[in-house]
Amino acid sequence: MDSKLYLAENVLNERQPVTYRLLSRALKVHANQAKHILFEFHRNENAKKPQTVHATYVISGIQKAPEPAPTNGHANDEDEMMQSSPYLPSSMPNQDADSHSIRTTSIMLAREEDLEDAKSTFHSISTIHVYSLEPTALPDLNALVDVNREIARTHGQEDPLECGKQWGMIQNRNVKRRTGARPPPPAAPAVKAPAAKASKPSPKSTVPAKRPLQKEASAAKPEATKSDDSHELKSAPSSAANSQTSSKPSSKAAPAKQKGNGNLFSSFAKAKPKTKESAPAESAAPNAEDVVLDDASEEEAEELFPDSTDKVAAANRESRKAREEKLKKMMDDDDGDEEADDEEMPDADEEPREPTPVEQPPPSKPVELKEEVTVQGGRRRGKRQVMKKKTVKDEEGYLVTREEATWESFSEDEPVPKKKPVVNVPKAKAGKAAGQGNIMSFFGKK
Amino acid sequence: MAPDAENYTFLCPPSKEEQEQEPVYRAPSHYNPRSTFHLPTGAGRHYQQQYDDLYFLRLAKLKPTVEKVATAAWDGLIIAGEKVRRVDRVLDVRQGELCWVAGTVYMHLPMKPNILEDLSKENFTSAPPPRRTYTDPSNPSLTQIMMEDESGRLRLTGNFLRSTQLATGAIIAALGTENANGDFEVIDIKLPDLAPQPQRWEGKASENGVEISGKEHGKIAFVSGLGITGTSSDTLALELLTDYLLGYTGFSGNNDNSPSLGSSIITRLVIAGNSLGASVMSEVAPTISGDSQPKKYGYDASAYNAAPITELDNFLAEILPSIPVTLMPGEKDPANFSLPQQGIHRTMFPQSRAYSAPPCRGDEKPEAGWFDSVTNPWDGDVEGWRLWGCSGQNVDDVLRYISIEGGDNSPDQDTDSDTRMRIMEAMLRWRCGVPTAPDTIWSYPFQSDDPYVIESCPHIFFVGNQPQFKTATIQGDVPLRLDGDTEMVGAADSSDIARVRLLALPKFNETGELILVDTETLEVEVVRFGVFKGQEEQK
Repeated sequence: MDSKLYLAENVLNERQPVTYRLLSRALKVHANQAKHILFEFHRNENAKKPQTVHATYVISGIQKAPEPAPTNGHANDEDEMMQSSPYLPSSMPNQDADSHSIRTTSIMLAREEDLEDAKSTFHSISTIHVYSLEPTALPDLNALVDVNREIARTHGQEDPLECGKQWGMIQNRNVKRRTGARPPPPAAPAVKAPAAKASKPSPKSTVPAKRPLQKEASAAKPEATKSDDSHELKSAPSSAANSQTSSKPSSKAAPAKQKGNGNLFSSFAKAKPKTKESAPAESAAPNAEDVVLDDASEEEAEELFPDSTDKVAAANRESRKAREEKLKKMMDDDDGDEEADDEEMPDADEEPREPTPVEQPPPSKPVELKEEVTVQGGRRRGKRQVMKKKTVKDEEGYLVTREEATWESFSEDEPVPKKKPVVNVPKAKAGKAAGQGNIMSFFGKK
Repeated sequence: MAPDAENYTFLCPPSKEEQEQEPVYRAPSHYNPRSTFHLPTGAGRHYQQQYDDLYFLRLAKLKPTVEKVATAAWDGLIIAGEKVRRVDRVLDVRQGELCWVAGTVYMHLPMKPNILEDLSKENFTSAPPPRRTYTDPSNPSLTQIMMEDESGRLRLTGNFLRSTQLATGAIIAALGTENANGDFEVIDIKLPDLAPQPQRWEGKASENGVEISGKEHGKIAFVSGLGITGTSSDTLALELLTDYLLGYTGFSGNNDNSPSLGSSIITRLVIAGNSLGASVMSEVAPTISGDSQPKKYGYDASAYNAAPITELDNFLAEILPSIPVTLMPGEKDPANFSLPQQGIHRTMFPQSRAYSAPPCRGDEKPEAGWFDSVTNPWDGDVEGWRLWGCSGQNVDDVLRYISIEGGDNSPDQDTDSDTRMRIMEAMLRWRCGVPTAPDTIWSYPFQSDDPYVIESCPHIFFVGNQPQFKTATIQGDVPLRLDGDTEMVGAADSSDIARVRLLALPKFNETGELILVDTETLEVEVVRFGVFKGQEEQK
C-alpha cells in the first residue's frame, strides 16, 4: 500500500522518475524487493491504462560479440604480436593463451521499447530487472543520474553501515571507519557548491578573530579605542599592501551578503590580521590543528556560525559606543562589498545625527588623520601624475598599482572626497556609496 | 510491453510473505601497500637537486644485472674469428674491436621538449604543449640513439636498432663494434629482463597463513579514467558500476553459466587515475567590460568548480561501506603533476575520508586505510600478489619515442594497443617502470634512490587510461633462468618461471569497462556497463 502510494505520488503526480534504489531507500526495503515493487506497479498501472508508466530495465548477461568483438578481435593477434615483439628478440615463450577466452559480461540499461532489441544482442541473459519507472520515455537516460544524486541528498544522513543490510548492500565485516569525526555534513550538494565553498574559508578565518571581538565588544571604551588605534596604525601600513591582499576582502564579500552577518564579517575581515599578530599563540593553535587534524578544524568552523550570530545579537545590544566602533571600522574596512554598504548606510546616516561625532573624533582621529593627510595627500598628488602609468609609489616606498581605469575621470572632476577613497583602498567603497556626506563631515572634523 | 515471462526472478510482483533476505558478505581483502613512491613531506622535500643522481643510481642498480645477462650470452662468443671482448666503460670502446658495453640509453629526438632551447628562444612557457610524438616521421634520420655512462656517450647505429625499440633511460648492454665514423654498430642488445619475482604471499599481507590456503576465488577490480565531471553528462555507467559493486544489481546466477556469483567476491577496487573529467578550475568567463570588476590576485575561490570532486567523493562514500578502495591519482587529478604523484589529499573527500587511515603521527608506520589514497605510480600487495601500476603517463610517454607507422593519421586501434602492450612488457624487461622520467616526464629529483627501478617483478602490472582494454601474460626468459640468476637467492623453486599479468586498463568514461582479475588464477574478466542505444538515439 505504502509503496503504491509512494509511486503514485512520485511517478504519476510529481512526474519524477523513481529508480529501484530510490524506492529502496525511501521505503527502507531491500533493493530486490524494490525491483519487484516497481515491476508490479508498472504492470498494474499499465493494465489499467496503457502508457501511463514507462519502465527502464537493466539487463545483465553475456552479450553476443558485436561485429568486430573487441576482445576476440585483439585476442587473435595476441600471439603474433608477442612473438614479433622487437624488445626482446630472443625467445619469448608462449604468450597468453587465455586471452582468447576473456569473458566479457555486460550490464545494460535499456528502455522499455528497446528491451527486445537489447535482449537480442545478448547471448545469454542472467537477469533483467526494472531499473526505474518514469511517467514517459526519457529522451536522455542520463536524467536518471540526477535521480541517484537525489538519493545522496535526501537520504545521505542514513548511515550506510547500519542500513546497508536493509537495502541489500553487500556487507563487509572488515570496514574500518574512523569514528572520531562525524563525517557526513550531509552530502554537500553539488549544486550550491561554489557558494558554499566560497563561504567556508571565511568562517574559518574568523576563528582567531572571534575572541578579540568579544573583548572589544564587552570591554570598556578606552580599551576598545586603544585596540582601535592599534588597529588603525596597523592598517595604515597594511593599506599599502592592500592592493596585493585585496583578494582577501573581496572573497569576504560573499558571506557579507547574508544580512545580519554582513557588518560583523566585514569588521572581522580587518580585525583578523591584527589579532593574528597580537595573539599568535591563539591563532597558532588552531593552525596547527588544521595541519594535523583537518577534521577538527572544520567542525570548529561549523560551530562558529551559531556563535557569530549570537555575537550579532549581542553586538546589537551593545551600547552606542560599540556601534560606533564598529561603524568606524566598517568605514575603514568594508572594502569592495556594495551589498554591505547598502545595508549599513542607514546606520551610518544615523550616526552623525547622534552624539557620535563627539565621541568619534578623539579616539581615531589623530591617527587616522595623520595617516590620511600624509598618505592621501602624497598619493593624491602622485596620483594625478602616475595614474596613467597606474602605478603609484607611496611614502613608504610601496608601489600601489591601480587597475581601474575609471578612476582617472574621477580625479579630473571630483575634488577631495572622491579621491581620498581612491587612495585608501578600504575607505574607497564607503566613500563611494551613500555615506559620502557622512564621511566628508567625518574628515572635515580635522 | 512487459517482457514475456521468462523466469527472470525480478520480473514478478513481490511475494506476499516478507522473506528475509540473507545478507551477503564480501570476501575480506588482504592488502599491504608499499611506500616506494612516498615522498618526504614538508621540509624534507627538496627540489634543488640535480637529476643526474637519478640516472646514476639507475645505472648503478641495473648495470650489474644487465652485465650478468650479457656475460651469460656473449662470454666467449666468437664472431668471424674474433673473440668478443667486454668493455667496462663506454669511452673505452676502441675502433674496429668487437666488444660489448653496458649503459643508459639516451635518445635524441627532434621534437623532444628541450629546456635549453626554450630558454634560448625565450619561450618561458610553464609547460610545453603535449605532443603526440617526439619523433619526426618525415625525417627519421634525425633520431639519434646514444648510450651513456659516467664516462661519456657513444652513438649507436646499425640496422639492428631499426628492428628494436628503445627509450631514454633504459639500461641495456650492446654488442658491436665502432665504425669509422666513431659510431657503434650494434649487432645485438641485452636487457636486464624480468626482476626476481616474489612468491605469492611473500609480502605477507595476511595475518596467518592458514586462513589463506583454501580460499575460494576472489576478484580484484580495476578501473581507470572515471572522468567524473559532476554534470549531468556523467555517464549512467558510473551509477551502474556503483550498483554492481554494492551488489544491488548484477548476475543473479539463475542459470548455470552465470559469469560470477556476484560482486561479493570482489575484494578490492583499484582506481588507476583520472577520476575527474572536467578541469577543476572553471574557465573564468571573460567579464563583459563596463563594470570593471575588481581584479583579484592569486586564488579566486569563485573560479573553483567543486562539482567533480564532490561527485567523486559521493561515489566513493557510497561504495566504501562495502568495498575497500585504492585510489591512485592521474594526470588530471588534483595532485602534484610530477611523478611520483602523491595521493589525493583526503581533505578533498569530506565524506569518504572517514574511511581513510587516521593521520599518522611522528614516525609511526602509517597503517593502510580502508580507503587508501595512494601514489602514482604505486606498488603493493593485494591478495598476496605484488601489483605495480601507473595511471598511464609512463606508457603514453614512451609511446612518443616510437615512430608510429602511418605518419600522422592515427594508427588503427589494434596496432596502437599492441604497441602499448609491448611497451609495458619492455618496461618490465628494462626493470624500469618509468624509464623516461626524468627526461620527458616530470619527476621528483630523487637523490638516494631510484624508485622507478622495478626491483621485484610484480605479478600484475597495470597501466591506466589506455584507449582500449588489453591484457597479456609474459614470462621470464627460460634459458636465462637456467643460467642461474644469482639474484634469485633461495628461490623456492627456480623452475617456477616469473609470470606477469599485463593489464592496459581502458578509460571507464569511454568504454564503461571494469576489469576483474581472479585472485587465484590471475585470469581476467571484463564487465561492461552501458546504455542500450535504442531507436530513440539512433535517429
